[in-house]
Amino acid sequence: MEINMIKDKINQVLVGILEHDNFEIHDELTAKDVDGWDSLSHMMIITKIEEEFGIRFKLRELNKLKNLGSLVSLIQSKA
Amino acid sequence: MNLIFDIQSSIAAHYDRNAFCISQKFYTYKQFAQKISDIRLGIQQFVLEDQIAVGLITNDDIETYASIFALWMEGKAYVPLNPDFPTERLQMIIKMADVEFILDSSEKQVFHNPQTVLTKTLDTSGIDFDPKIISADNLAYIFFTSGTTGTPKGVPITFGNLSAFTDAFWDLDYPIGSDDRCLQMFDLTFDLSVMSYLCPILQGACVYTIPKEEIKYSYIFELMEDHKLTFALMVPSILHYLRPYFDEIDCPDMQYSLFCGEALPLDVTEEWSRCLPNATIANVYGPTECTIFCTDYTYKKDMTNKTHNGVLTIGNDMKNTFTIIIDHENNEVGIGESGELCLSGGQLTPGYWKNETKNNEAFFFKEYKGENIRFYRTGDLCSKDEKGNILYLGRVDFQAKIQGFRVELSEIEFHAKEALEKTNAVAVAFTNSIHNTEIGLVIESDKFDHKDLLKYMKTKLPVYMIPTKVKFVQNFPLNANGKIDRNRLTTMFG
Repeated sequence: MEINMIKDKINQVLVGILEHDNFEIHDELTAKDVDGWDSLSHMMIITKIEEEFGIRFKLRELNKLKNLGSLVSLIQSKA
Repeated sequence: MNLIFDIQSSIAAHYDRNAFCISQKFYTYKQFAQKISDIRLGIQQFVLEDQIAVGLITNDDIETYASIFALWMEGKAYVPLNPDFPTERLQMIIKMADVEFILDSSEKQVFHNPQTVLTKTLDTSGIDFDPKIISADNLAYIFFTSGTTGTPKGVPITFGNLSAFTDAFWDLDYPIGSDDRCLQMFDLTFDLSVMSYLCPILQGACVYTIPKEEIKYSYIFELMEDHKLTFALMVPSILHYLRPYFDEIDCPDMQYSLFCGEALPLDVTEEWSRCLPNATIANVYGPTECTIFCTDYTYKKDMTNKTHNGVLTIGNDMKNTFTIIIDHENNEVGIGESGELCLSGGQLTPGYWKNETKNNEAFFFKEYKGENIRFYRTGDLCSKDEKGNILYLGRVDFQAKIQGFRVELSEIEFHAKEALEKTNAVAVAFTNSIHNTEIGLVIESDKFDHKDLLKYMKTKLPVYMIPTKVKFVQNFPLNANGKIDRNRLTTMFG
């Protein structure tokens, strides 16, 4: 899948769950930079991403997600 | 106080063993003893003799843990200050607890006032940890929990309380030995952390902590698998996070898996027990006021377990606790009848820190087995069966548990209303799609951009108290008694 499409979909998931669009999607973006993206919403974001892309993350892979860029490449490797 | 000597002799007896694993780095008991000695010397040099309650910046490092033991050996208590909390809240706690000195392991000190001792840069000397003489009434720590009127409440815990806890804990026969590897997943402002570091240290076991920047549930899984953890106390919300991945988890090394802080559902427990084929699973219960937990239930694999609405019983009184369930007139209710759970015994706090009003509300004396005994009202609605198993039914007030943290919904409303001026707002706790509790805020108004509101609240409250969803209604629905119908507002979420 094309990177821009992946980013687009992630953007939609974030807006849907966090109920705001007060952030910009770029590779260095981390949860810390986004209002409301905490451990509570993280799980729901991950679950929604799995659903949207029809993929499954492994528990171990979740620890390696350091920023948006690593999330995009992980999705790319699976989708 | 024997507890302090027990700590000292355990540390001395296990010098070559690992005491902590923090961010993948191991520290032996000898290194830990060295840190404790250095910090003790720092305390003797810089902290006035008559200062009992000392602030502690809660970083995830060896100095922070060593500071706790150093303070104890100096006969002092710690007041945990999480540097991620709003400064204003921390200042309020510092003021309420009369804290005049702070131990801080940060590179750059968090507070300029009160006076700070930087624990990472202290001189090093010989190992000395002969503790001072400490009595059962000496304070070990003061933890601050959410209060109804916008001010947190201080809960002081004595060494007598802590000893009563460890004594009762060993009596449960969930033993820890020097070969054990134990999880410490809690923020140091949360009293479950005390059990998680203290009990392993008392036995020469190794404590595994979680770096602050990691995602807790997946990091816990990695620790369990990579380091073959054998003992873990967790909040049930971790299970809800891990549940979608249960088929990836197989940890035969885990011996004891304890849960505390929130309702533990039976179905998740059953699934979890298959991830830990050799573990005993237990549900324990206790508020900060009756440190650290005081009732216990051992889950019975492949047998019938006592539940209410799918939630496991919190079991029976531990060795040093008495529990009673009372009606509105403080009379004990019959078997199977519901009422407020009240606690007494050696683990019970002497009372809220300088808060006579709260003490009169929360504590009362009652004749029990021929003695006049002081009880604490938990605010938990419970019933007891004929075997003394306590079933948790709900709250009698407006408290919620967020990842085990106790939250007064009225404290959230207080700060929301402060920011909104004349507009009314109600905070509710709702269950989200993965069965964890979140805070929702309903504002009686036309819709507006609430970014500034949440920003303001973040300057007043810790992150776990900030509403994760905001809704607007023209008028609050009322129930039959003419009160705001909180149940209906709750259904707007989730």
